[in-house]
Formats: sequence, C-alpha cells, structure tokens
Amino acid sequence: MKNILEKFCSKNKKGQDQKIRNFSLLPNKFGQEEIIGFVVIVVIVSVIILVLLSFILTNTDENVVESYEVESFIQSMLQYTTSCENQLEFLSYQKLIAYCENEGVCLDGENSCEILDSTTREIIQVGWNINEQSPIKGYEFKISTEEKELFFAEEGNKTTNYKGSFQDFARSGEKYIVSLTIYE
Amino acid sequence: MVMENWGIKNKKGQLKIQQMAFMLIAVTFLFALVGIFFLAINLYNLQKTATGLEEDNALLLVSKLANSPEFSCGNSFGGSRSNCIDFEKLIVLQGMISKYQNFWGVAKIQIRKIYPEDETLCTSGNYPNCGIIKLLDKNVNSTAFTSNFVSLCRKDLSDNAIYDKCELAVLMVAGEDKG
Repeated sequence: MKNILEKFCSKNKKGQDQKIRNFSLLPNKFGQEEIIGFVVIVVIVSVIILVLLSFILTNTDENVVESYEVESFIQSMLQYTTSCENQLEFLSYQKLIAYCENEGVCLDGENSCEILDSTTREIIQVGWNINEQSPIKGYEFKISTEEKELFFAEEGNKTTNYKGSFQDFARSGEKYIVSLTIYE
Repeated sequence: MVMENWGIKNKKGQLKIQQMAFMLIAVTFLFALVGIFFLAINLYNLQKTATGLEEDNALLLVSKLANSPEFSCGNSFGGSRSNCIDFEKLIVLQGMISKYQNFWGVAKIQIRKIYPEDETLCTSGNYPNCGIIKLLDKNVNSTAFTSNFVSLCRKDLSDNAIYDKCELAVLMVAGEDKG
C-alpha cells in the first residue's frame, strides 16, 4: 500500500513537473512572437516616419534669381550715369547706346562704344558676381534695334536653368531692345 | 492538488494580464512618441511658415519700395523713372526714421551702392561720399536679406554745372525671424 502510494505520488510529481515545464515554455514562445510583432510594427512606423521626414526636408525649392531682379537690373542699368560726357551732360547708359550707334566721341576723346563695352561688362560682373563658385554661372547680354544687333556680350557657362528679361526704349526715332539672360 | 492547479492557472492569468498591460503601455508610448514627433514637425513648419510669410512680405516690399513716394525719384531727374531712388530723400528719411519704425512692417532696410562700390556708412555729415545707407535696423532676429537692383540718383556738380548722377545700388529688405 505504501509502495503504491509512493509510486502514485512520484508519477503525479512527474506529471506536475511536465505541466510546469510546458507552462514555462509556451508563454515564452508566445512572448517571443509578440516581441517580434512589436519590433515589426516599430520598424514599419520608423520607415514611414523616415520617408515622410525625407519628403518634408527635401521639398525646398528656392530660386537663386527672381525674374523681377533681372528686369529691375536692366532698368537701373539704363539709368546709370556713365563717364562719357558730350557738350551738354554726362550721358546715361541709355543715351550712350544711341550715342555709340551714331559713332559719337566723348568730350575727353574716348570712343563711346568702348565706354559702352567696358561699362556693360563691369556692371554685369559687379551686379551678378559671375564665377565658378557663385550660384550664377553665366550671362548673355544683347542690345539691338529692329534691324541689327548693336552690342553682344556673354561670359561663363550657359545652363538650362535661366532667367531673362528685356527692356525697349525709343530714341531719335529708333527703337532699341536691351535683353539680359542670367544662367544659374 | 486542485489548489496547486488553481495556483498555476492563476499565475498564468496574471502573467497574461501583465503581458497585455506591458503591450498596451508600449503601444501607447509608441503612439505618444509618434504624436510628439509629428507635433514637433508641425510646430517647426508653423514657425517656418511665419518666417516664410515675413520673407514673402520682404520680397513684395523690395519690388515695390523703390517706387513708393518716400524713396522714388519722382520727376526730379527728368521724367518719371522706375526703380529710381532719390539719395537726398534717403538721407532726410534716415534722420526721421523713428517715425517710420512700424510703417513697412519689416526688420531691416538697407541700400548699398554697388557700382561704383563704396563701403562707407552714410550719415548726413558725409553725404554723398558714402555707399551704405542703413535706413531701418530694428534690434530683432531677422531673415536673410531680399534684394533688388535700383538706381540711386542725386544732383552733382561738375565744372559749375549741376547734372543728374545715377549709380547702381541694391535695395535690401529683411523681415523679422519668427523662428
């Protein structure tokens, strides 16, 4: 009887041990799966956040040159008082263009077209600071009448990203067109 | 034995509840973090929008300021000119700028002569032999300057004759940085 009882107890103990072992294994496995699921969710959310963040941060589209700047540059340039003086006054850039076309000579003996050339190049260089390191890569400047081209200047590289403008004015019955294109 | 089984079941249930609680806390924490993150981005964007509006205001202002009565040449230099600033008006305006502090709604206004270049700061004492006019300079954080080309004109004397002298300058306007 004692033996039977002992046997029963030891069997029962074994069964209990087995149950406890199963109990300690199963939830552990479930826990691992849940942790993996949680990690997957965290990874997916992180990827979504990163994509959104990169989209927000890279969506900055700024122009180096605004088109109104080129327009106002030409307007201001045409008003600039040059060093060329005739019998009446120091000529503005606008008047110098017509003076150059009529092959006028300044009071100090200088050729008006040479002054037009040097003034144009200097003003554009100072105004736009064109060089390799600058965001502005080059320019093209043109003065023309309806029939012919009077003056042409260009410098730097021509790119596909550019802003341009033109101004026209009439002097002594002639219509002049001044155009400038700035390459970024 | 029944008691022992009941104890094990109870422990199992407790562990499950604990697991669920931890999971709920973790999920709540994750969503709170995501929420805070997006809130921070939105707040940053709001500040950026405010600063952007200030910049837009400066941009709009810079393109029309030169033609406003306080700056423009009017008919003083032979006919009406656009983008022409009267140098003498600027010097007078500089002397009474305290009355114009909030008139344009921007933080800074400067005019710099660029051709011929001159780095001297303008006062009523050294006019016209100078090149930088700091018209408005509020003591606040400002955005980057928005600039526009203008013609800076004044009357000059040569061989006892008065003539119109216009030089190339840039008008620079900066808004208040709200960030």
